[in-house]
Amino acid sequence: MATVDEVKGLVAQMPDPDQRGMYCENIDKAKIDAAIEALRRGGPEHWRALADLIVPPGEGDDVKARYALHALAVAVCKPEGRESRRAFGETLAALLGADRPKAVKTYLCQQLQTAGGAEALAALAELLTDAELCEPAAMAMTAIGKSAGPLFLAAWPKAGGACRLTILQNLAVLVVAEAKPIMLAALADADREIRLAAGYGLMKLADAEAVEPLLKSAETEGWERIQATKHCLILAEKLAAAGNKPPARRIYEHLKATRTDPKDAYIRQAAEAGLAAL
Amino acid sequence: MTMNNGLTRRQFVQAAGAAASLSIVPRNVLGGEGIAPPSETLGAALIGCGGRSGGTYNDMITRLRAVGIEVKLLARCDVKFADRADNKETYTDYRRVLERRDVDFVAIATHPGWHALISIAAMEAGKDVMCEKPMTRFIAEGRAVVEAEKRYNRVFQLCTFGRFGASRDPGRRQIHKMMASGLLKKCPVVHIKKGGLKVREWSGRVVYQPAKAPPSLDWDMYCGPAPLRPYQPHRVGGTHRGYWDYEGGGLADMGQHHFDPVQWTYAKDHTSPVEIEAYAPPAHPEACGMWGWVELKYEDGCTFVFESAEWGEPYERAKPRELSINDLDEQARRQLAEMPDPDPLLEFGEAVKQRKKSGGHAEAAHRSSTLLHLANIAIRMGRKIRYDPVKEEIVGDEEANRLVRQPMRAPWRV
Repeated sequence: MATVDEVKGLVAQMPDPDQRGMYCENIDKAKIDAAIEALRRGGPEHWRALADLIVPPGEGDDVKARYALHALAVAVCKPEGRESRRAFGETLAALLGADRPKAVKTYLCQQLQTAGGAEALAALAELLTDAELCEPAAMAMTAIGKSAGPLFLAAWPKAGGACRLTILQNLAVLVVAEAKPIMLAALADADREIRLAAGYGLMKLADAEAVEPLLKSAETEGWERIQATKHCLILAEKLAAAGNKPPARRIYEHLKATRTDPKDAYIRQAAEAGLAAL
Repeated sequence: MTMNNGLTRRQFVQAAGAAASLSIVPRNVLGGEGIAPPSETLGAALIGCGGRSGGTYNDMITRLRAVGIEVKLLARCDVKFADRADNKETYTDYRRVLERRDVDFVAIATHPGWHALISIAAMEAGKDVMCEKPMTRFIAEGRAVVEAEKRYNRVFQLCTFGRFGASRDPGRRQIHKMMASGLLKKCPVVHIKKGGLKVREWSGRVVYQPAKAPPSLDWDMYCGPAPLRPYQPHRVGGTHRGYWDYEGGGLADMGQHHFDPVQWTYAKDHTSPVEIEAYAPPAHPEACGMWGWVELKYEDGCTFVFESAEWGEPYERAKPRELSINDLDEQARRQLAEMPDPDPLLEFGEAVKQRKKSGGHAEAAHRSSTLLHLANIAIRMGRKIRYDPVKEEIVGDEEANRLVRQPMRAPWRV
C-alpha cells in the first residue's frame, strides 16, 4: 500500500491539463523530472503500480499516469537512467500476460515500442494472434529490431484474419530470409494486400529466385500492377547492387518489352536506365 | 456554405473550374515518350481536400500555366468523402485515383502522415507531384521519396516556396555561393528562428473522450500508417498538427516554411546537422506540447536554432550570427569571384516541361524535413543526439532511432 500511495503522490506531480485539455500551461520541468526520477529509482514495484493506474480511454482519469509512464519509458533510455531499461522492459512485458483490458495492453505495447528490448519480445509475440493487439505488438517488436524475426515466423501458422497481413508485412520489413517460402506461396493468396506484402518481402530479400514469380505478379492491372512493378524494379536494383547482373537484366528487359503503352513510358525508361547501369 | 477546408464552395468550384478550362497546349510540351495527340487536356487530381488544399492545387496549376500547360481537375479524394464517393470524380481511397491513367499531376494536401506514402505511390504511378509541407512524418520516409523521384524520373515539388525568393535575392545568393564554394572552412553562422512557430496553438489534447466518427469519415484510412486510435474530433482538421501520429506540432508545420529557404541559403540541401540538443519538458506520447529551444549543429559549425518563445528560458548559448563576404580573406574573395553563380531554381512548371528536378526537389525537401524531425526527436527523447547525415541514423542511440524509422500499420509501408 505504501508503494501505491507513493506512486500516486509522484503521479500527482505531473502537470494538470489546461482549460483546452492540453499540456501548455504551468509546465514545471524540474518538478516533472524529479518525480520521474523517483519513479525510476522505485524500480519494478513502482512501475507495476504506475501501470495499474492506466485505464481504457474514456473510463477514468489516467492522464497523469499515462504521461508519467511514457516519461519513465524515455527516462530509462537516457544514459543516466539506462541501468533500469531492461528491468523496465521485463516489468511491462510481464504485465501483458495479466488480465488487463486490451486498450491498456495497447498502451503498454506502445511504451515497449519506446523502451523495450529483446527481453519483451516473447510476451509481445503472444499477442500476434489477437486481432486487436497484433498491430501494436508488431509495431513494438519491429521497433525492437531483427531479433523479432523468428517470433513473427513462429506466429504465422497460428494467425488468421488481419493478423496474417500484419505478420507478413513485419517479416518483410525485418527481411527475414526464412520467410521466403511463405512469401512465395502468399503471392497467390486470395487477398490483394497479402499478395502485395509478399511481393514487398521478396523484393527486400533480394533473392534471384523471386524474379520470375515477381514478374508474373506484375502482369495484372491497377494498383496491384503499379506496386508489383515497383517490387520488380527494386529487386533488380538490389540484385545489380549485389553484383548479380543476369537476373537484374532479366527484370529490366522484361519490363522494357512489356510496358509498351505510352502511359508506361516512365517504367520503360526506368528499365532502360537500369540496363544502362549494369 | 463554408467547406471544411475554409474555402466557400464557390471559391473551391472557381478554383476547380479554372483548372478545368480547355487546354490548347499539346501533350508534347512535356517531351519524351508517352506523347498523346495535340490538344489533349492533361489530368490532375487533388488528394486531401481540407485545410490548404485549394491553395495547394492553385499553387500547382499556376506554375503549370506559367509554362503553357493547362490541366483539368479529374478527381478529388478525401477520407471525409466516405458518404459521397463515386470513384469517378470523388474518392476516399487515393489508390483508386492513382490507378487512373488520365491523371498526370497530383496535388497532395492530406495530413502530413500521408504525404510521403502518397507522393511515393503517385510517382510509382507515373504522376508528377506537388506536395504540401511538411514533407514527411519521419526521416526514413523522406529517403524513400527521394528514391522514388529518382527511380521514376518524376517531378516532385514541396509546397513551400521561400527558397525560390531566397535564390533570387542577391545577398542570399552570395551567401549560398560562399557556402557552396568550400572556401569557408569553419562556418560561424548561428541562425535563430525565434517565435512564430505556433507551439501552443498547435498542441494536442491529452484529455479527451473517445467519440463515434461521423459516417462521412473513413477513420481507419485517416489514421493510415499511424496507430489506429479511438476517434476524437480534435485529431481531424487543422488541429491534426498537434499529434505525433500525423505531424509534429507547430515546429514541424511552420519550421519547414522558415528553414527550407535558410537551408538553401547556407547550401545544406545535401546534408543534415550532426548534433542536436533540446531544452524541453518531457514530451507526451501522443500530443505535441511545449518546448523551449532546439539547437542543431552541422559538421562545419553552422548552427540553426528553433526558439519557441512560448515556454521556459530563452536560448542564450550564442548570439545570432549571419555570414558576410568579410568572413573570407582577400584571396578567397578573389577565388569566389571567379566561380560561377548558383543555378536558378526551377519552378515546378519548368521542371515538368524540361523533365528536370524542381528547385524544391525531394532531396532538398527531405533535408529540410529532417531538421524538423531531428528537433522533435531531441524534444521527445530528452537527450542530446548525434546524427550521421550519410547513413541517416542517430549514432549510438537505438531507442532514438525508432523515431527515425517508425513502424507502420499494415498494409502501409515504405
